[in-house]
Amino acid sequence: MLEIAPMKLSAADLALPAEALVADGVQLALADDYARFSLRARDAAILEGLLGRKLPAKIGETLDGVACLGPDEWLALLPAGTALPLGEGLPVSVTDISSRALGFVVEGPRAVELITSGCPLDVAKFPIGRGTRTVFETVEIVVWRTAEARFHIEVWRSFAPWLWHALAAAA
Amino acid sequence: MLLIHCPYCEEDRPEVEFANGGQAHIARPADPSAYSDPQWEEFLYIRRNPRGRHHERWRHVHGCGRFFNAVRDTVSDRFETTYKAGEPAR
Ligand SMILES: [Zn+2]
Repeated sequence: MLEIAPMKLSAADLALPAEALVADGVQLALADDYARFSLRARDAAILEGLLGRKLPAKIGETLDGVACLGPDEWLALLPAGTALPLGEGLPVSVTDISSRALGFVVEGPRAVELITSGCPLDVAKFPIGRGTRTVFETVEIVVWRTAEARFHIEVWRSFAPWLWHALAAAA
Repeated sequence: MLLIHCPYCEEDRPEVEFANGGQAHIARPADPSAYSDPQWEEFLYIRRNPRGRHHERWRHVHGCGRFFNAVRDTVSDRFETTYKAGEPAR
């Protein structure tokens, strides 16, 4: 099998500040490294059997680091270094997309305000654990409420510097 | 902002998450090699442009990613209904 060395991303590669941005009532920081997987299957049961874990059944729900993005699509954010079986021969797709995106953590009483400065969804009404794909201005993101006053935002790496500065400007 | 009901997400979502996919319910030719040039022209290029009720494909591109069908009034821009791809026209 072809081995592809994982691309190591650092804040400096993307001209992002390594330090968190602390503003009044809100903090913006780069998230930890994650192993990211795109999981696709028409029949979730086959994927669940392969991975040995339950998947969230409804779009927008999350379970143990996995968000259901579409009727046959899940995004897994797992601890860095996690390997998943690829399911060769099964009607599923397990793709390592760790280097495709990176995460921001927006935290604090003004977290909702910061996200709604560019996101059209009513994230204030998100229950904790809700995660969905959407947009910030014109940039595609995944918004995931991880606590009452904390959101995780996934963004493709090429859009990350722009998103950082847009959020920093709003903060 | 216009809200569009996604039949897969089962909720109203903002218009900016969606992309229009043109006229809906255009059947592919069952036997493409038997198609004449005028039939290909009809299939590929000829589209309705009604004033009023119109069946369209839409895609929840910045959401669940799915194509679905919608009935939209081209005058008022009001969405009458949306339904999953593969379901009969409403
Ligand atoms: Zn949807």
